Amino acid sequence: MRVPLSWLAEFVDLDLTPEQLAERLTLLGMEVKGIERWGADWNSVVTGQLLTVEKHPRADRLSLTTVTLGDGSEPLSIVCGATNIAPGQRIPVALPGAVLPGNRRIERAEKMGVVSNGMLCSGTELNLTADSDGILILPSDTPLGVPLADLFGDVVLDVDVKPNRGDALSILGLAREVAAATRQQVRQPAIHVEEGSGPSTAERLAVDVQDAALCTRFVGRWVSGVKVGPSPDHIQMRLLAAGQRPISNVVDASNYVMLELGKPIHTFDAASVHAGPDGRPTIVVRRAHEGEQHETLDHVVRTLSAETLLIADAEGPLGIAGVMGGANSEVTDATTDIVVESAIFDAVSIRRTAQRLALRSEASSRFEKGQETRLARLGADRTAQLLHEWAGGIIAKGSIDTAPVEPERSRVAFRPARINKLLGTDLTTGDLRALLGRVGVETEQADAGERVVVALKPDVLTVDPGAEPALAALVPTWRRDIAIEADVAEEVARVRGYELVPSVTPDTAMPVFRPSPLEVRNLVRETLAGVGLTEVVTTALVSPKHIETFVFQRDVPSLGDEDQPGGEPIGVGNPLSRDHSVLRRNLLGSVLDVVGVNLRHGTPDVAVFEIGKGYARTGTTPREWWRIGFALTGSMEPAAWNRAARPADIDDAKGIIELLAHRLGFGRPTYETEANEPLLHPGRAARAVVDGKLHAIVGELHQSVVDAWELRTQGRVIVAEVALAGLAEGALAPERAASVGRFPEVERDLAVVTDNAVTSADVETAIRASAGSLLLDVRLFDIYRGTPLAANEKSLAFRVRLGADRTLTEAEVDAVRAAIVSALAASGWRLRA
Amino acid sequence: MDLAQLTADLDALRGRASGAAASAPDTAALDVIELDVLGKKGELTAILRGIGALPAEDRPRVGAIANEVRIAVEGAIGSARAQLGGAELAARLTAETVDVTTPGRPLRRGSLHPIVETARKIADVFAQFGFVVYEGPEVEDDVTNFQMLNIPPDHPARDLWDTLYLDMDGRLLRTHTSPGQIRVMHKEKPPIRALLPGRCFRYEAVDASHASEFFQVEGLMIDEGTSMADLKGLLDQFAHAMFGAGRATRFRPGYYPFTEPSVAFDILCVICNGDKCPACSRTGWMTILGAGMVHPVVLRYGGIDPERYQGFAFGMGVERIANLRHAVGDLRQYMEDDLRFLGAFR
Repeated sequence: MRVPLSWLAEFVDLDLTPEQLAERLTLLGMEVKGIERWGADWNSVVTGQLLTVEKHPRADRLSLTTVTLGDGSEPLSIVCGATNIAPGQRIPVALPGAVLPGNRRIERAEKMGVVSNGMLCSGTELNLTADSDGILILPSDTPLGVPLADLFGDVVLDVDVKPNRGDALSILGLAREVAAATRQQVRQPAIHVEEGSGPSTAERLAVDVQDAALCTRFVGRWVSGVKVGPSPDHIQMRLLAAGQRPISNVVDASNYVMLELGKPIHTFDAASVHAGPDGRPTIVVRRAHEGEQHETLDHVVRTLSAETLLIADAEGPLGIAGVMGGANSEVTDATTDIVVESAIFDAVSIRRTAQRLALRSEASSRFEKGQETRLARLGADRTAQLLHEWAGGIIAKGSIDTAPVEPERSRVAFRPARINKLLGTDLTTGDLRALLGRVGVETEQADAGERVVVALKPDVLTVDPGAEPALAALVPTWRRDIAIEADVAEEVARVRGYELVPSVTPDTAMPVFRPSPLEVRNLVRETLAGVGLTEVVTTALVSPKHIETFVFQRDVPSLGDEDQPGGEPIGVGNPLSRDHSVLRRNLLGSVLDVVGVNLRHGTPDVAVFEIGKGYARTGTTPREWWRIGFALTGSMEPAAWNRAARPADIDDAKGIIELLAHRLGFGRPTYETEANEPLLHPGRAARAVVDGKLHAIVGELHQSVVDAWELRTQGRVIVAEVALAGLAEGALAPERAASVGRFPEVERDLAVVTDNAVTSADVETAIRASAGSLLLDVRLFDIYRGTPLAANEKSLAFRVRLGADRTLTEAEVDAVRAAIVSALAASGWRLRA
Repeated sequence: MDLAQLTADLDALRGRASGAAASAPDTAALDVIELDVLGKKGELTAILRGIGALPAEDRPRVGAIANEVRIAVEGAIGSARAQLGGAELAARLTAETVDVTTPGRPLRRGSLHPIVETARKIADVFAQFGFVVYEGPEVEDDVTNFQMLNIPPDHPARDLWDTLYLDMDGRLLRTHTSPGQIRVMHKEKPPIRALLPGRCFRYEAVDASHASEFFQVEGLMIDEGTSMADLKGLLDQFAHAMFGAGRATRFRPGYYPFTEPSVAFDILCVICNGDKCPACSRTGWMTILGAGMVHPVVLRYGGIDPERYQGFAFGMGVERIANLRHAVGDLRQYMEDDLRFLGAFR
């Protein structure tokens, strides 16, 4: 809410500097987001009048103007690009040397061959309005040659009024806050209605509220004989400073009342209201028929639902209640009689309608926060008064008021001891009463048996204070946010200021121990960063193309009791963009995007990982699971003066997975060929598995994906998607110490000749299966191809380590070796000679 | 062969071998001498082979002389070897000199993401005060994300959270970590000290200070007497841990439907230390989180009796904290993942 201080000062004395005032308001919960010096940066901007406006000889879009400053000096010729200008208009002129908001320097300049001696200013250029459509046209009686700041300078506070304080969305409401902060009383606006003679409002107009639940009060007034025209100068500027564009005296009056009192008002051309059954023009407040159409003020035809509340007459809609008036009842220059509508509408209904029609307005945002009933009457009277003062209207006698009863202040009982317990303070009852009094909340002893309201939902919870002393707060009618005991505590704290709350470290009981669910993730992060990978964080929302591209034929299954992948992707119903409209199902695409970005930025060596979630649903059940994704491209060992670069390959990725498995105490993973994953190189992809502990897909990205995803690399891209037990919320189990044998271990090397198609894992499995209980470990240490082997053969050299709690005999070792050799032979493999 | 001849031969051998050792050019030459004289097929061995031809009474005497010769030659070779070896080692070490001022062999350097690390740091600070970490789902339902937090459907406060709704009935992407409060209350009985880090989503156009995906950390503490004073004390400790001991702080009134009273927690501007600069909108203060006393309605939805228990909750944007700690001006950088940016972090 924009608050010109000149306006605020009508209701409360402002003895503070704007900065001091802003700080006080902020500390009271009315956060001042900005302080605008209205006019401070209008140096060398003066008022002028357009004498002539002609087309620029060489540029269709430009005009050639002459401007007088009214001081008898030679008129200035100024080139202007706006189209809303005409001779006779008074306008702000930035003279050469002026510096406009945003440090925009105005100099004498040549524009398409014509010299321009300054610039005509739009509202945006002056930071005077948000309107950049054209030059700001000043009131016709604006004096000429005067610095603009002298006429319209002000200070405007930008106050962030929270949604629970609709009462403060007004100059008067904020004046009440200033009064509380500076211990003053508010001067109420002088509302007096000078009614004319002639037929009364009730004789001229009828109002038929057909849905009293959605329109709890409707106050109507009739003002005749208005002359529609511009509002007085200072009113226009005040509205401008408050961010409201002046339209006409009639429209401005309703906007003025909305800003001043916080009461949205609508004005109709009375001639557009058709007669009802008894011959009087009759306003009907009803719900729209499903599909009913109505053209709003912005000349858009809206199709309405049965939830929409309408202001209508016998012939049809006149406007959408609380949201926007209708084009058919708009006040025009020809309008003479005005119907003033000052109504209270159901907050939820207005909010829904405004949202459905995407018509959030100043009015709807006030209605949806709830309106004080009293304001219906005050708003109607104040508007009628302004129409009389600004447009010469004659106010018909009386008003129509469908619910003239105004509620009393509400009572909220509270226990001072509870307030102190909540705040950690020890304020006396006297302190509390004085603090509440500053915001107009009077207090008295609670009645005998009066219950304290603790909460209103899920149902009303009240307690009997019993022997505990209790007070009752009498809440001003405009404060709809004080309803329970805790609300009173907040009011006390904010008025007193939070510096009264002491700062102590908690000394209450501690909760029982709970292991951190981040333990495994953090170990993985440290490990991967330790071997040279950079952690990345990417968006969970990706494009549909992403989702379609990065699907595993066979997903990496979750381990433990985590949700399993698979099922349908989850889409966003109202995405910001297509690029972020679906939740990812794995991390592969995410890490590849990071690879792509960095390659485009000229970083050739990329080794990155992310720990994040995949998401999917089965029917209406959403699922989320944790994964590690990593990608390597470029060199794993960067080139240096003493070493050539070594490009990353699948063995780097497998080594990383093995390291993770080791650090988590899982043992070594086994590998199997993964030839059926179209995202990956058919001959360079594997699954790594530690039963129940780890499952990964690892491999070289398929060239077709590299191309389709436009990864700018000549080299290979290695990727992995890893599921780990405990990634979701596991704690690390303590490691078991290895028993370091006191007896010597024996090593035997076996070079096994096989067909090329046989995998290392096949041979290792056969060795492990046949080696018996003395086997400690088997490890591949060499692969050889070439003479004297046949072309389709290779030799896999394994080192077998044997040991036991004793010294092995030569015979035992030989027996193990023989068992292995015969098992290998049974598979058709031989030892290399 | 007689005794005199043999003795003379031994003497001659001693003289020759000792002389050769003394004048040997390198240790390799000494090896040759050693082998030639003392080896199995060496001269001394050959001479001694002649002992068998001597009378038995002469043999001990020749044996003694031969032993003397062996010791003398070994000594001569040993002392020559010591001399030559030292020089050779010195020469080798000299030859092995490298330029030690060249850079070392580079190791690949990884790093941890500043957002994840900042969240961890936050959790570490609160862990000192007994706060334990919980996590909740990112795909939430309207009831837990809003309604149980005292934000009914069609409440104007919903404007504070522009929401991404999913193509599933009643489901949305959590707009904050606050629904975790409800989940923890359903799981645990007081005393509760919970910390809830996680990814959140908003319908928010992305710019230097807004993101549609971001990370929050929520805190929740509930017990019989947990008050706003405890909240203030704890947050002061937090500010000191993150922004330096003695960093001034303040509470000011705020608004959240799920806390009552609600506060905003400010620290003295880390750029100007209160001198009022553009970074703090010329207020001298920077807001780092929102907090308040848990609303009785929220306690009730969490199954906790608001007459017996009370407590506080707080929530902060991890990016905000990271921005201030690491002097990051544009939060888009966190998810752009340019390695030149990320490489600056540990």
